[in-house]
Amino acid sequence: MNLTFTTEQEDFRNQVRQFVRDNLLNKGFKVESKGLIADSDVSFSKAMSEKGWIGFTWPKSHWGQGRSYVEKTIMNEELYRVQAPIGYHFLADRQVGPSLIHFGSDWQRSFFLPRIVTAEKGMMFCLLFSEPDAGSDLAGIATTARKDGDYYIINGQKVWSSEAHLADYGWLLAKTNLDAGVSAHNACSEFILDMNLPGVKVRPLINIAGEHSFNEVFLDNVRVHKDYLVGTEHNGFRQIMAQVDYERAGIERLMQNYPVYDQLFDYMKVKQFQTRKPELYAWAKDQLARLTVEFETGRLLCYYTAWMIDQGKKPTSQAALCKVFCTQYEQRLNDMAMRILGPMSMIRKNGSNAPLDVDVAACYLWQPSYTLQGGSVEILKNIVALRGLKLPRD
Amino acid sequence: MDFGFTAEQKMLRDSFRSFFSKECTTDQVLALWADPQGYSEKHWKKMAKLGWIGLAMDEAYGGSGYGFLDLFILFEELGRSQLPSPLFTTILSCMLIDLCGNNDQKQNFLESAINGRCILTMALLGEDGDPDFHSPKIEATIDENGQHRLTGKRWLVPFANSADAILVCADLVGHEGGPTLYCVDTQTEGISCTRVETLYGENSFHVEFDAVKVPESRIIGAIGAASDGVERILSRATILKCAEMVGGAQYVLDETLTHVKARHQFGRPLGVLQTVQHLCADMNTFCVSARLVACQAASRIDQNLSAEKEISIAKAWCGNAYKQMTWIAHQLFGAIGFTEEYFLHLYFKHAKACELQFGDASWHRARLAATMGL
Ligand SMILES: Cc1cc2nc3c(=O)[nH]c(=O)nc-3n(C[C@H](O)[C@H](O)[C@H](O)COP(=O)(O)OP(=O)(O)OC[C@H]3O[C@@H](n4cnc5c(N)ncnc54)[C@H](O)[C@@H]3O)c2cc1C
Repeated sequence: MNLTFTTEQEDFRNQVRQFVRDNLLNKGFKVESKGLIADSDVSFSKAMSEKGWIGFTWPKSHWGQGRSYVEKTIMNEELYRVQAPIGYHFLADRQVGPSLIHFGSDWQRSFFLPRIVTAEKGMMFCLLFSEPDAGSDLAGIATTARKDGDYYIINGQKVWSSEAHLADYGWLLAKTNLDAGVSAHNACSEFILDMNLPGVKVRPLINIAGEHSFNEVFLDNVRVHKDYLVGTEHNGFRQIMAQVDYERAGIERLMQNYPVYDQLFDYMKVKQFQTRKPELYAWAKDQLARLTVEFETGRLLCYYTAWMIDQGKKPTSQAALCKVFCTQYEQRLNDMAMRILGPMSMIRKNGSNAPLDVDVAACYLWQPSYTLQGGSVEILKNIVALRGLKLPRD
Repeated sequence: MDFGFTAEQKMLRDSFRSFFSKECTTDQVLALWADPQGYSEKHWKKMAKLGWIGLAMDEAYGGSGYGFLDLFILFEELGRSQLPSPLFTTILSCMLIDLCGNNDQKQNFLESAINGRCILTMALLGEDGDPDFHSPKIEATIDENGQHRLTGKRWLVPFANSADAILVCADLVGHEGGPTLYCVDTQTEGISCTRVETLYGENSFHVEFDAVKVPESRIIGAIGAASDGVERILSRATILKCAEMVGGAQYVLDETLTHVKARHQFGRPLGVLQTVQHLCADMNTFCVSARLVACQAASRIDQNLSAEKEISIAKAWCGNAYKQMTWIAHQLFGAIGFTEEYFLHLYFKHAKACELQFGDASWHRARLAATMGL
């Protein structure tokens, strides 16, 4: 056992830092803190692609670099430190690629994978799973895909679809077996949906931070060619369950508000908290130190999860546990930041006299989503209890 | 000891609730948050007509002569409804003038405020967003004509652009002793208001005073003697904020229970799941306990007993309890609660704003420790 990084790993971290300086910080990039998926910027994605940093963990045989998840975590840690604009390729890299490598056809792989790793235009993805009546219970979806010759005809409604208004493709779950007797787990299939097809309509939803980030997606007789069905027909549910581990494992869940954490220290030191609020200084110091304990613990959980994946172990329970811990830490972070900063932290969008450079009020407003998105805390704890701890089912 | 409300208080509550629930939907609240004025004139006139602005004011000035507990009920219902209006700030300004002002000033301001003709606000926050009235960073000087001139900046002043007058504490140069309270006409030259967008949508401004002229007749109370009165009114304000929180908390609980009974996943209502039940039970504990500590302080104030300790207990507990309840509610409502169209975020934002205003839990715990000789 050795919980320090190797020289190669440290070198790699420095490379990423240098890259961030060259491509962002020295070019006037403004560090902000928002939802999970930072802004999208194709040219930044291109620059990452030239480094080989998209498809980083995919096997070399599949247009990837075959690097480890630990290294990928190092990379993401450095990118999330400044909330680098990786939104363009983020989902395709994290989820779509690995899923196609597992389940995709040769055609799908050879079409999508090389284009994703080069950040080609027209390769932004969104996830179309949830529906009004199917949130935690994904098996409750009602969207149907009826076979019609070489095509599937898709009808239904998706909701909460993040970035669907920007995406070129949607990763869609729909019911292909409509027989009443078949359990939902054996009735669904996964599709890659071209968002520009006739019959796809995206309606914006404004979230509680006042931003347009998720959407409703209406599917009205959309004709999708059978080449776009991923994996085995009717097996979509099981495929998804194999994929979500990737969605949950990452250090992005710990660091989507890192600038708040970082700037809090400056605030305490530079703005002379100690002389201005002497009666609260000891308290504030203790709270910040406590956040540090939690942050560092969360960071270890993330690296441990990545290491498990590198060891070829199934990380389901560990990834679930990790996401629960990290998202709850982030809630405490934003909450505590506002308490330490006081009422002026309510000022939005870095308006006059806002105490930090980042919009900490916006971070607080985003936080109810952290513990829901990508598996709610309760559902994840169920996974830990049942799959990890092997407790008996109800 | 009696934990109940009188029949008359129950009637009052019903009338508050029926007005607010008629006048206030989520859409309307959002529209008023976006509105430059921040409230509806129609609502304001109606509330004046119903006698609510002067609910606890002396009948001599057109008030209705009710007590502090009745005011508590009003703000509880206001918190439940989230209707944006300058009610809070106007009522507290009236209480401050009533406590510290002379007869002329009371006659002048209270009557027109109570009738809905004049809106009042208080500018007591310094650059940290905390009240700094003991030594306000705002300076008053006396010019050659004997006029007072105010210079300095105040932060997060509610409804400053619609207010007719602003109550502000200043440090009169050359005078020993504490701050002096001024009631400044907002039309006076040298006042500029800048709107600030905050997490909670209530109308809020930074206000700059640049050698603003104030006649001596607008000094409220004696020169250098504002501290006690302001302190006293702020402690009342703190408990009325707690009332708002209790009202909001109760509504959030009610709606959450309705939701978990109606929303089905995995073929059954969410409410049958023990995890969900325990979260609801936690919300209930927060709600009941917040109401008790807030009412304890309100009841002592109502009876003119010392309440310093109880006020700090109430604010420290309610701020956290209400906030935690909104977190649990967001968790149980799922993604629908994360949309602006849905009502829940109004309370999530309200809870955070209330927590931070008038001192948060750590501030009140420090004060509490001090009252206990620590
Ligand atoms: C900001 C944001 C972005 C999102 N982006 C996407 C996206 O891009 N694509 C997409 O498909 N979806 C997306 N989602 C949807 C997300 O996956 C769902 O919100 C999530 O699955 C929960 O479903 P729900 O919101 O319907 O809540 P519900 O399923 O109604 O759950 C409500 C509450 O009940 C609890 N609960 C439910 N079942 C159980 C149980 N068995 N045991 C214990 N507790 C339970 C839940 O934990 C939760 O607290 C997004 C959501 C948010 C908030």
